[in-house]
Amino acid sequence: MTFFVNVWTTLEKYYRFFLEGVQNTLIIAFFTVLFGTLLGILMAMAKLSGIKPLKWLATAYIEFFRGTPLMVQLMFIFYGLPMIGVSFPDVPFIENFQRFAAGIVAMSLNSCAYVAEVIRSGIQAVDVGQMEAARSLGFKKSQSMTLVILPQAIRNILPALGNEFVTVIKESSIVSVIGIADLMFRTNGVKAKNYKTLECLFIAAMIYFVLTFVSSRLISLMERRLRRGRK
Amino acid sequence: MAASDMIQVKNLTKKFGRLTVLDNISTTFHAGEVVSVIGPSGGGKSTFLRCLNLLETPTSGQILFDGIDICDKKTDINLHRQKMGMVFQQFNLFENMNVMRNLTAAPIKIKKVPKEQAEEKAVALLKRVGLSDKAHSYPSQLSGGQKQRIAIVRALMMEPEVMLFDEPTSALDPEMIGEVLDVMKALAESGMSMIVVTHEMRFAREVSSRTLFLEGGHIEEDKPSHEFFAHPESPRLISFLHKVL
Repeated sequence: MTFFVNVWTTLEKYYRFFLEGVQNTLIIAFFTVLFGTLLGILMAMAKLSGIKPLKWLATAYIEFFRGTPLMVQLMFIFYGLPMIGVSFPDVPFIENFQRFAAGIVAMSLNSCAYVAEVIRSGIQAVDVGQMEAARSLGFKKSQSMTLVILPQAIRNILPALGNEFVTVIKESSIVSVIGIADLMFRTNGVKAKNYKTLECLFIAAMIYFVLTFVSSRLISLMERRLRRGRK
Repeated sequence: MAASDMIQVKNLTKKFGRLTVLDNISTTFHAGEVVSVIGPSGGGKSTFLRCLNLLETPTSGQILFDGIDICDKKTDINLHRQKMGMVFQQFNLFENMNVMRNLTAAPIKIKKVPKEQAEEKAVALLKRVGLSDKAHSYPSQLSGGQKQRIAIVRALMMEPEVMLFDEPTSALDPEMIGEVLDVMKALAESGMSMIVVTHEMRFAREVSSRTLFLEGGHIEEDKPSHEFFAHPESPRLISFLHKVL
């Protein structure tokens, strides 16, 4: 019982910290999803293209970013790159822009590799006969893609893409290691102040769960809308 | 080139890796002809047909369509595919479109036919194959036989010079084969040029004017259909016919 009392008093006293953390977590997740998806589409197109060097480059990129830890990628970009003279500028009026930029860039580069694979497999899951039928009528490859293949691929892509978005929210907790005041960072801060480790972690877990649960519900709602729109 | 030499195949060879599927094939298809291509599975029938509209790229050789070499990189293959309708074993109707859009998408987007005109034509053709009531159905709501008749109409919508059929009845339940063959027979009688890869010996014998026997990548026999079935010469054809008839 004292556990829940402690949770309550912690929340009462430090809720501003947690809320600020949530805000930063959402900012990071939003931009990661945005850039990750845009880059992911380009990367998938590169991987599916007939231009061999482009295809190899995309494949190498995807394999590398999926095969190394996000933590390493993040540290590489935030601590490593400045050592060879590459660093993000500080921007007036936006606090900690340098850290945020590094965090968002690292997470976007990582997420785009996963998004690219989701899109590629969604497109390749469409029966090859559909493309052949379109080409046999005289459609160009690009027309066949937009008229026939992509509308069918979307159905395969959306659910997996929704998963990726939820994953991004959870994975974003890693940016706390480069000093971005996200939910995890704030949780650690509160923990250091009141020594209520278990309670603080419980609060963080609950908040993360609400964030992912709400967003996954929203996504499946959207999916159902889209499906109904089809017919 | 005689005026009726619509498709001339010259020394066509197709290899998949080290496997030679078509070995130096030459033949000519004339306008108005209905040609059946028969032979054992793996004999190269489908590959041969798919080479004619470059769904498979020949390893070597020439395919002249109306006198133009379509294997030439400079030839715009999309233009020529418009004149060669293709019907697939697996129908391949566009799953994301209803029947009407399946039929009208290509004429509207490629040939810039006005929408009303394309739909009018679609309605007329649907009526001819007995599927007027299906215009607004989706492919997933149709039987195999219905899908295949619509696939035939889809190809006809482009007003092709020749229709290529790749085993059009092989994926159908037996009771649906008749309805598709009837449509093909009516099409043949209307004077359409057709090249039909098939296992339907009755269609080959009774509807097509000429039959080819393709085996091991070679054309083993090539004759007017009545003679083909009455007096087969090649021993392989004789044994093949013996098994299937």
